[in-house]
Amino acid sequence: MANFNIDAKKDMTYDAIVIGSGMSGGWAAKELCEGGLKTLVLERGRLVEHIKDYTTMNNESWDLELRGAIGPDDKKKHYKAIRTGFIGENNKHFYANDEENPYTEVKPFLWVRAHQMGGRSLLWGKQTYRWSQLDFEANAKDGHGVDWPIRYQDLEPWYTYVEKYVGISGEALGLPQLPDSHFLPPMELNCVEKEIKQRLEKEFQGRHLIIGRVAHLTVPHNGRGKCQFRNRCDRGCPFGAYFSSNSVTLPAANVTGNLTIRPFSIAHSIIYDETLGKATGVKIIDSETGEMMEYHAKIIFCNASTLSTTQILMNSTSTRFPNGLGNDSGELGHNLMDHTYRVGALGTFEGLEDRYYKGRRPNGIYIPRYWNIDDNSKSDKFVRGFGFQGGAYRPGWGGAANMEGFGEEFKDSLLKNPGPWEFFITGFAECLPYHDNKVTLDKNSLDKWGQATLAIDCEWKANELALNQQIQEDAVEMLEKCGLSNIEGFDQKHEPGFGIHEMGTARMGRDPKTSVLNATNQVHACQNVFVTDGACMTSNSCVNPSLTYMALTARACNHAISELKKQNL
Amino acid sequence: MNRRELLKNTAILGGASVLSTSLFSILQSCQSEPRLGWTPTFLSPEHALLVSALVDTLLPKTNTPGGLDMKVDLFMDAVFSKLYDDKAQEAVVVEMDAFNQQCRSKYGKPFYELDATQKGAFLKEAEANSPKFNRGVWGTAVGEQKPVGFYRSMKSLAVWAYCTSQEVGSEILAYDPVPGDYLGCVPLSEVGTVWSL
Repeated sequence: MANFNIDAKKDMTYDAIVIGSGMSGGWAAKELCEGGLKTLVLERGRLVEHIKDYTTMNNESWDLELRGAIGPDDKKKHYKAIRTGFIGENNKHFYANDEENPYTEVKPFLWVRAHQMGGRSLLWGKQTYRWSQLDFEANAKDGHGVDWPIRYQDLEPWYTYVEKYVGISGEALGLPQLPDSHFLPPMELNCVEKEIKQRLEKEFQGRHLIIGRVAHLTVPHNGRGKCQFRNRCDRGCPFGAYFSSNSVTLPAANVTGNLTIRPFSIAHSIIYDETLGKATGVKIIDSETGEMMEYHAKIIFCNASTLSTTQILMNSTSTRFPNGLGNDSGELGHNLMDHTYRVGALGTFEGLEDRYYKGRRPNGIYIPRYWNIDDNSKSDKFVRGFGFQGGAYRPGWGGAANMEGFGEEFKDSLLKNPGPWEFFITGFAECLPYHDNKVTLDKNSLDKWGQATLAIDCEWKANELALNQQIQEDAVEMLEKCGLSNIEGFDQKHEPGFGIHEMGTARMGRDPKTSVLNATNQVHACQNVFVTDGACMTSNSCVNPSLTYMALTARACNHAISELKKQNL
Repeated sequence: MNRRELLKNTAILGGASVLSTSLFSILQSCQSEPRLGWTPTFLSPEHALLVSALVDTLLPKTNTPGGLDMKVDLFMDAVFSKLYDDKAQEAVVVEMDAFNQQCRSKYGKPFYELDATQKGAFLKEAEANSPKFNRGVWGTAVGEQKPVGFYRSMKSLAVWAYCTSQEVGSEILAYDPVPGDYLGCVPLSEVGTVWSL
C-alpha cells in the first residue's frame, strides 16, 4: 500500500476537510476523494497503517511477561474504559488515554474513545444490521423526539452501496423489522445453537435465532482476505478480514491521490464566516506542539464521533452562532442515547458433551426484535423494543478454577474436559431521545490543551427500565422453554455508554427550530457543514448503528459533491 | 546450596548450557527439600514456599508437566508484584499468613512442610469452603460475585499461568493459532484436548 500523504504544510486549503478517520470519517474520506475532491482528514491521534502498525497481532500469551494482563499503571491510564472489561496488553494502544482526556460524569456515563487513525473502527463489534422502516417512523408514530427527515427507502440504495463494498456475512430472513443486507455466506451456528434455534422457533411464534450479521468476510472480497477465525480482531486484522477505516476506506481514499491526512490534529472549532454565511475551515491544535492553526475548505464533514463532534460544534461560536455552530434550535448537545447493555440470562445445555467446535468465531447469535413490531406484538409496558446477542460455548480451561478438586485428576480433567455447554443471551434495548439527556461544555475543567471538557448528564428513564425488565423476563423464559438448566437471569445495571453506541446530540430533523441537521446531514443554517457520525441520529433503534452511519455518510457525500458541482455550497 | 547460586556459578564457569552430571545431580538433590529454589520479587521466602507448595499440590507433575515445571510459582510472584495494586498486595499477604496460620493450628507446621496426605486433606477443606466464580458474559461476571477467597484465587491464577505457558499452551493443549475456518460441530475426540486459545 502506498504511504499516506501527511504533508499538510504544503497546502492549507482543500476542497474538503473531514474531521475524524473512524467508521464514518473513513467513508467520507473515500467518497469525497473518489468524487475528485482534494480532501484533508484531520486525525487527533497517531497514524495506524494497516498491518504495519498492528504490533500485537501475532502475540501469544507466553510471548508477554504478564501473559496479556495489564497492571495498575495501565489501569489508571485507562481508568474510564477499563470498565468495559475489554482492555489488555494486546489492544491497550488502541484506547485513548483517559487521564489526558477527562470528562465529567454528572451521572454515571461510560465514554469509550479511540484516538488514532481508524478510531473505533479498529475496536468495534462488527455486528452489522440495517435499520427498518419501523425505526425511521418510530418517533413520528409514538411522539417521542422529532420525526426523522428521511425514511427507509431514502437510505436503502445507500445500504446496498456500502454493503457491497464492505462485505457483510449473514443469512437472509425477509423480516420487515430487520431488513436483509446483501450477504456473503453466513458463519456457522455451533451444534448447541442449532439445537436451541429449533426449540426456540418451535416454542415461540415469531421469534428467530440467527447467526450474527457481521462485517467479517467469509470469502475473499474486494482484494481482502477472508476471516481466519483467530478472534484477535481488536489488535488489527492482518488479513483485512473485518471492516475498518484502516484496512478498507482510507487506503481506497489514498489511491485516488486526493487524500492528505494530518495526524495529531485536534479539531478545536469550525470557522464560520459571517459575511459569506458559511464555514470556511477548521481551527486545529497540534497535539504535540500545542500550536493552533487553520485549514480551509469548501465543505467540512464532522465525523469526530458522537460526543466529540458535538463538542467541536459547541466550541464553534460566532456572532451568528453564539451557542455553537448550528445551534439555533437549542438542541445541540441534547437527546443523547445509547443501547442498554448486559441484561439477559444464561444457562447450561445438557447433552452433546462429545461435541466441540474448531476455530474462534468472532461472532455469536442474534434474536431480532419481536415486541411492538405489529398489532399483535404491542406491549402495554413500553414503546420500541430490543434484540438479543448471545451464543453457546464450552468454557475450557477458563472454567477450571470452578471445577472440583486438585492434583492429578484435576489436572487431567483441566486439559481434557472443556466443561459443560453454556448458553447466554443479552439484550440491547432502544433508548428514547430525551431533551434532558445531554452534554455541556465545562469551561472550568480544561484538558491539557486548554480545551473545555464535556460534562455528560444522561440516565435511563422509565421506558428503558421497563424494556430491561422485559429483556430479563423473556430471556429466562426462553432458556427455560428451550430446556436449559442452571438458568440465571441478570441485569448488571450498567450506566449509559456501556453499549458504546452513543447517538444523538446534533440530531437530524425536518424543522430547524427543533433539530440541528437537515435530511442530507447538513447543518440547517450552515449548509457546507455535514455531520454524519452518531451525533446526527434522531432515534437509536435497537440494532447496532455503524452500517447506518456508513450509509448516511455515503449519501451525504454524494449530495455534497453534486451540490458543489452546482455551486450551491 | 541455593539453586540460583549454583546456576550462577555454573554460568561463571562457562558451562551454563552443558551441566555436568555431578552438578545436575546436586541440583536435583536440592529440590527434595522444602527450600526455595528461586528468588521472589514480591513474596517473602515463607510465602514463596507456600505458593510453590500450593502449585505443586494443585498441578503435580504426572505424564504431563507439573505447575512447577512451568514455573507457575515464579509467574504468580510476578503477578502479585506487577498486576496487583497496593491494596490487593496487602490483602494477599494477609491471606497467606492466615492460610499458614490455619495450617499451623491444625498440624503444627506450615503448609509447605505437610506430607502429601495432609496437604490433600487441608486443600479439600479449603475447596469445600470457597465460593465459586460467577459465570460471565463477554468477560465480566454476572450477578453479585462473592469474594472467592484465597484458595480459589490461587487456583485460578495457577490454572491461568499453567495453561498460558508456552509448553502447555502450544504442545499439550490443542493449539491452532490460525484456524482458517469455523466448524461448529466436531467430535471432541477429534480435537483431543481442551483448546489452548
